[in-house]
Amino acid sequence: MMDQSLERYSRQILSQHIGEECQKVLMDSNAVVVGCGALGTVSSNYLTRAGIGQIRIIDRDFIEESNLQRQILFDENDIAEGLPKAIAAQRKLRKINNNANIEGVVTDVNYANIEELSKDADIIIDGTDNFETRFLINDFCVKNNIPWIYGACIGSRGLTMNIVPSKTPCLRCVFETMPQMGTFPTCDTAGVIGPIAGIIGSIQAIEAIKILAGKYESANKTLIEIDVWDTKVKQIDISELMDLNDCPTCKLHTYKFLEAEDGVMVTLLCGKNAVQVMSRNISSIDLVQLSKRLASISDISSNEFMLKFKVKDNEFTVFPDGRAIITGTNDLNTAKSLYSKYLGM
Amino acid sequence: MIYLDNAATTFPKPECVYTAMDKFLREKCANPGRAGYRMSVETEQEIVKARVTLAKFLGIKHPERMIFTFNATDALNMGIKGLLCEGDHVITSNLEHSSVSRPLTGLEKHGVITVTRVANSDDGFINADDIRNAIEANTKLIVCTHASNALGTIQPIREIGGVAREKEIMFMVDAAQTTGVCDIDVETQHIDMLAFTGHKGPFGPPGIGGLYVGENVKLQAWREGGTGFEPESLSQPETLPFKLESGTPNSVGIVGLRTGIEFCIKEGTDTIRTHERDLALRLIKGLEADDRFKIYGGRDENEKVGIVSLNIKGLNPGEVAAILDNRFNVAVRPGMHCAPHIHREIGTFPEGTIRVSPGYFNTVNDIEETISGLKAIAESA
Repeated sequence: MMDQSLERYSRQILSQHIGEECQKVLMDSNAVVVGCGALGTVSSNYLTRAGIGQIRIIDRDFIEESNLQRQILFDENDIAEGLPKAIAAQRKLRKINNNANIEGVVTDVNYANIEELSKDADIIIDGTDNFETRFLINDFCVKNNIPWIYGACIGSRGLTMNIVPSKTPCLRCVFETMPQMGTFPTCDTAGVIGPIAGIIGSIQAIEAIKILAGKYESANKTLIEIDVWDTKVKQIDISELMDLNDCPTCKLHTYKFLEAEDGVMVTLLCGKNAVQVMSRNISSIDLVQLSKRLASISDISSNEFMLKFKVKDNEFTVFPDGRAIITGTNDLNTAKSLYSKYLGM
Repeated sequence: MIYLDNAATTFPKPECVYTAMDKFLREKCANPGRAGYRMSVETEQEIVKARVTLAKFLGIKHPERMIFTFNATDALNMGIKGLLCEGDHVITSNLEHSSVSRPLTGLEKHGVITVTRVANSDDGFINADDIRNAIEANTKLIVCTHASNALGTIQPIREIGGVAREKEIMFMVDAAQTTGVCDIDVETQHIDMLAFTGHKGPFGPPGIGGLYVGENVKLQAWREGGTGFEPESLSQPETLPFKLESGTPNSVGIVGLRTGIEFCIKEGTDTIRTHERDLALRLIKGLEADDRFKIYGGRDENEKVGIVSLNIKGLNPGEVAAILDNRFNVAVRPGMHCAPHIHREIGTFPEGTIRVSPGYFNTVNDIEETISGLKAIAESA
């Protein structure tokens, strides 16, 4: 006879994989979802319904109309209310499962606050839209021996893998260096099809459930790549990467993103209602390529020194070393978010 | 030289502090927060990193509330004079350094505030109940030292903070002697303002310090000027840290401070405090049986930092210190240590005492040689 307090979880308890004991472990677990967009809304929805005891959802952005196509926790009322994603998600999820302790935090996750925001986490779920934050999460999780679940989507394609420190390769074993800022497509410039986020977010949720329940043996050990347009699913064997001896994070234990020795620098520019975003690493980007990527979303003007484009109230001036001056904001987090959306970081 | 004046300024600094400051001054020391060129941004980022490191170290949730100052005196003046208004009452103690007692006395003399100075016990401790009993309807601030710079006694700041929180009174702590040495957590110790300096426990250079400004504290900025923030505004911005940090900051000092704090974290404040205190207790043990010496202040190992105040009966402390320097090559600090109230209480006003303050880099041998020197001087009396 099942414990009555577990009735709402009876269908998953009845499945052969999750019994009452596992359910109780899940109810005593703490998950942190970093980024509550297409992926974060899906994974936090399942985690809440599955009865994870504590879920902290962190996101710095406000909901926009173009989010509704794929970010399944939000609706038109949320936009009318002008809600931040983290708060709208908190409201929805508390309605779904009042037993779970759901907390939405409106902030940018960075080296200064990741420890405080994630100190009790049993697992971190990646719902971010940028490598900068993922490399930071990787540093934090490897250093503190906390598993995390990478996820990413663009176009019709998605990727996910589990990072369980000392058992699997880490993110930097797979992507050794952060792609150069300003050089790659993003959902806001290249688009994304809703269901791929549903699939990747769902895989992240079930992988989190397995790891939290102590069923690591059943967890995914590969890098999963799915294309929903070509209907292709690949499981890429990455086990050999465990033998790498020179991974800066999991083998050499240097945590440059956590120590703010690598990554992005954001500065308020004196007197301009403008913020400058630049990389700590000196890089170079091809303004012609960038211009092609942005052509579908904005008019562009450029010369040999810079490229300008405008999205709504924000004007971007991008320079060949990857830095951008973004006008129309005095807020460092907003500028970081805008860079990440339109230029990629 | 045997340097035993670490309560004034720690010396030497860890090698990493010299290296970091040298590298920064050569490679990155531009004007931060005013321009967008790479070196300026990198300078600014170093300052932000230092703010974050210190905030974490002191239990401060919002790094922007960690204000850089020139030293603890600057921080104490900024806090005390920025907070207090006409008609306010302040409770403080007799253990305070002049950097607390003089700003208060100044405001008191000008008729702005009234002050109650609670007495301490004979062995140099403030009692939280005495603070509670001194509270009046207009008490705005309780301000006290974390550890006496004359006696080395660690004060019960958590209890005093508890009283302040319960009565909704601001609590300011002078942590000049304890930052980097004792555990400090502004949340659990109920601290609304914390003042410290970089050149003592944190192993930084002189000229850099800090003030934590709690969320309930609203300070008037008494130093106004360029901030790089809201330059279009004709008056001082209200946003922290800009409101309280006008002028080009001591960025090289900030880098030294951060590197020193990282050294403290790596070594462990417990390890540092234990080492310094054990050397202080060794000195006491070597002299206490000899009735030619008078040693002041409590000796409980759990309530002591590495500071010993003593006198040789019949000898002037200034002369003893001069002989120690001249004949035995030992550097100590004689006099009142800028804390005249406590010297009146312990009966050593105005000559004061000889203060011996071992640091993390002192050795047992340094203390043994000092004991021999002091005994030889006593012999001559």
